[in-house]
Amino acid sequence: MRTKLILSFPITFLIIFFYLPIISIIHEGLWDNGLTLKYLKAVLSNSYHRGIIFFTIGQALASTLLTLALGLPGAYIFAKYDFPGKSFVKAILTVPFVMPSIMVALGFILLFGKQGFFTQLIGRDLGILYSWKAILIAHAFYNFPVVVRMVSSLWQRINPHYEEVAMSLGARGFTLFRKVTLPMLLPGIFASSMLTFIFCFLSFSIPLILGGYRYATIEVDIFTSIMTLLDFKIGSALAIIQLTLSFVFMYIYIKSLDMYAKAEEQRVFRRPQKLTLRELIGLKGLLIGIYSVIVFIFIISPLLAVLYDSLIFQGRFSLEWYRRVFSAEYNPIFGANTLIAIKNSLLFGFSAVLLSTTVALIIAYALHRWQFKGKNIFEALVMLPLGSSAITLGLGYIRTFHRPPLELLGTWYIIVFAHTIIAYPFVLRAISAVLKKIKPNLKEAALSLGAKEWQAFIKVELPLALGGIIVGAIFAFAMSIAELGATYMLYQPEYTTITIAVYRFLSARQWGSASALSVILMIVSAVSFMIIERVGEEIW
Amino acid sequence: MVSVELREILKILGDFRLEIKSLKAKEGEFLTLLGPSGCGKTTTLRIIAGFEKPDRGEVLFDGRVMNEIPPYGRNIGMVFQDYALFPHMSVFKNIAFGLELRKLPRGEIEKRVLRILKLVGLEGLENRYPEQLSGGQQQRVALARALVIEPEVLLLDEPLSNLDAKIRERLRGEIKRIQKELSITTIYVTHDQEEAMAISDRIAVMKDGTIEQVGKPLEIYYNPKTEFVARFLGLSNILELEAENGKVHLGKLCFNVGRDGKVKIFFRPESVYITEGDFAEIVGHELLPGRIRLRLSIEGNEIIAERFLEELPFKIEDMPKSVGVLIKSYTIL
Ligand SMILES: Nc1ncnc2c1ncn2[C@@H]1O[C@H](COP(=O)(O)OP(=O)(O)OP(=O)(O)O)[C@@H](O)[C@H]1O
Ligand SMILES: [Mg+2]
Repeated sequence: MRTKLILSFPITFLIIFFYLPIISIIHEGLWDNGLTLKYLKAVLSNSYHRGIIFFTIGQALASTLLTLALGLPGAYIFAKYDFPGKSFVKAILTVPFVMPSIMVALGFILLFGKQGFFTQLIGRDLGILYSWKAILIAHAFYNFPVVVRMVSSLWQRINPHYEEVAMSLGARGFTLFRKVTLPMLLPGIFASSMLTFIFCFLSFSIPLILGGYRYATIEVDIFTSIMTLLDFKIGSALAIIQLTLSFVFMYIYIKSLDMYAKAEEQRVFRRPQKLTLRELIGLKGLLIGIYSVIVFIFIISPLLAVLYDSLIFQGRFSLEWYRRVFSAEYNPIFGANTLIAIKNSLLFGFSAVLLSTTVALIIAYALHRWQFKGKNIFEALVMLPLGSSAITLGLGYIRTFHRPPLELLGTWYIIVFAHTIIAYPFVLRAISAVLKKIKPNLKEAALSLGAKEWQAFIKVELPLALGGIIVGAIFAFAMSIAELGATYMLYQPEYTTITIAVYRFLSARQWGSASALSVILMIVSAVSFMIIERVGEEIW
Repeated sequence: MVSVELREILKILGDFRLEIKSLKAKEGEFLTLLGPSGCGKTTTLRIIAGFEKPDRGEVLFDGRVMNEIPPYGRNIGMVFQDYALFPHMSVFKNIAFGLELRKLPRGEIEKRVLRILKLVGLEGLENRYPEQLSGGQQQRVALARALVIEPEVLLLDEPLSNLDAKIRERLRGEIKRIQKELSITTIYVTHDQEEAMAISDRIAVMKDGTIEQVGKPLEIYYNPKTEFVARFLGLSNILELEAENGKVHLGKLCFNVGRDGKVKIFFRPESVYITEGDFAEIVGHELLPGRIRLRLSIEGNEIIAERFLEELPFKIEDMPKSVGVLIKSYTIL
């Protein structure tokens, strides 16, 4: 019983750093000496805001469709075939999980801008940048690996007997797929679509930077309402609308995830078919090759563009941008130098990792191992932060922590707390996934051999969960390093992070400096990526 | 040596209800829980081990109430139905786990682990990982891991179910030997009645979450109290007949039942002796190694008899149409 007291830590943390801010937003948006719908009405009757709400949903839908179009063929290939270089392509697909979106946005600017690589290659501006097209493509970049992962993992578990029975009954080709295979894949397609949809619905950096002034999401709208117009009432009303919608979406997502998990429990594991040499040089090999190349170009080209740009100064190879980034005189934009920004990013990153892993580990353990009263409510309460957005959180923090007793605005750790709230649902997912795989009776076996609860945990469950914990920690790190919106709203000049600095350079249209700094970000992310690869835990 | 006792236990799991009025394994006794799948054997073991808290009632070791003592304080050894080997530890590490927790010196641990490995016939496999072992080998590691700590109470949940007949019989003997040698009070779960008969001091037959009967193997076998127990422990003959003046007549057979009205008379096939005569018609037969199983019909009641071939008053080549029958022992259910 006493061990369960440890739950009060994550609960208190969530109440203060998630629920309190959310309540303060609701209060701000719905209260004026009494309940009022004035601000909600103001938002909904304004055609600009209404347009943004529709655009947010519309672009999320379109991005999801594009993501599916790109991801489903990959899912098929990965589930069905074994081919040379498969593990390499698989590894490449992990890259978007750890690459900061600001850097990807910069890469897109460098590829599709007026002087961009693709623009030069084709000879004319495709009009992709600063339009909805860039937003869709960047969203697909982030999400299609999720579709590949979830759907192919399910595809491999479809018992071949079903298809064989159907074939023996006369189904074949597309009929077979539509009548037998597709229905069994639906949970995976649906769950990964929902996840993509929510990501795009709450997306901030990508529309902010790639959407230009015409295409904004609710998230960007809240941000400008508060940071530029200083209109907290309208900002809160928008946030309330966004929260309501995203909670609905999240509810659907969680339901779909249940279905997915159930379907995935099927333990039949189909070995992917090893392609023969003849097939490899045939049509199948060609299609697989084309897909791999597309994946490769799609994921790697923004990164290469950034790297290349950082090394070109006035048309020649040079390290000048790096020199400038590190020297004080060319650093007028942010009130700290690059070294401090790196230090800040690492400090926030590691602190967020520590905190979010602790919070997530306790919650995950409680969810999977303990029975207690109100567990259902507990589960819902700890999942809700997944549906909140960085900007909403930032807004809530500004409203909640600007006065005693919780006057935390302006400290560095308020940024860490925000990062923790943003990251921990993902850590929770990673840890839950491994904990679910550890049979509860392993702990019981340890207890029967004389281990105390904590010994059983340390010696048996922790080592088995370690892979998932590391992957979760890296997610948290990657998210903290990449976080822009909430950090921007909460930081003081001395707490500038690399991501903020890149954004500042971008706003000032100093691409070279932005690229050089982004490369530093890329190196940090690459280290994360390699650790994930080393751990080898199935994050995908 | 400790005794293990359950008193007035009630445990409700969903719509399953386990209710044990009283069950006691005496010091050093080998008690088997026998029953069909889903009758609550594993649940009973888990209550004794302390993994499940009973909703009501007490678990006593040597008369001390153990309800509040956690599993690690009970000095038990347990073999789980699905082994529960630690996947991240080698065979050696798995077996040494309990000894390490007891802070034995390294050398001693090594000695004991190697000795037990030999006993279960897994020498040379100590550096393998569970996933590199066959199902039967895993089961033996699980057994070794529970035995090596020399617990006071050994709880075995179908520890031999995955082994082939030969190893199964050998290990059955080994378990029994170690158990006797160290006088470990043992509670053994199986749904194999032959295994239960071979190994147990006493057997508790379970059905739908309750204990039907507890007794010595032969007592349970020949004097079952209920039809369920009778049928569960092998082939049985149960005749439902009308009694008059405390007796039942069937052909030339006469049963003393001591009451009137409908009765159920039970006897095993090997209690049916074949004599010269003609009131029991032979309706079928089946040859077994050295034995014969005869299906006989007496006034429309079918019974089974099982005899060694040389006991028959006729040759099987010229089997008569009907024979006489003698039933040496029977019970009224
Ligand atoms: N956590 C639970 N919730 C609900 N019902 C349960 C739970 N655990 C077990 N049961 C039910 O309790 C009954 C007894 O289960 P138990 O595992 O004790 O059976 P068993 O006798 O060991 O069977 P087997 O020989 O198949 O191992 C079963 O009907 C099972 O479905
Ligand atoms: Mg069982």
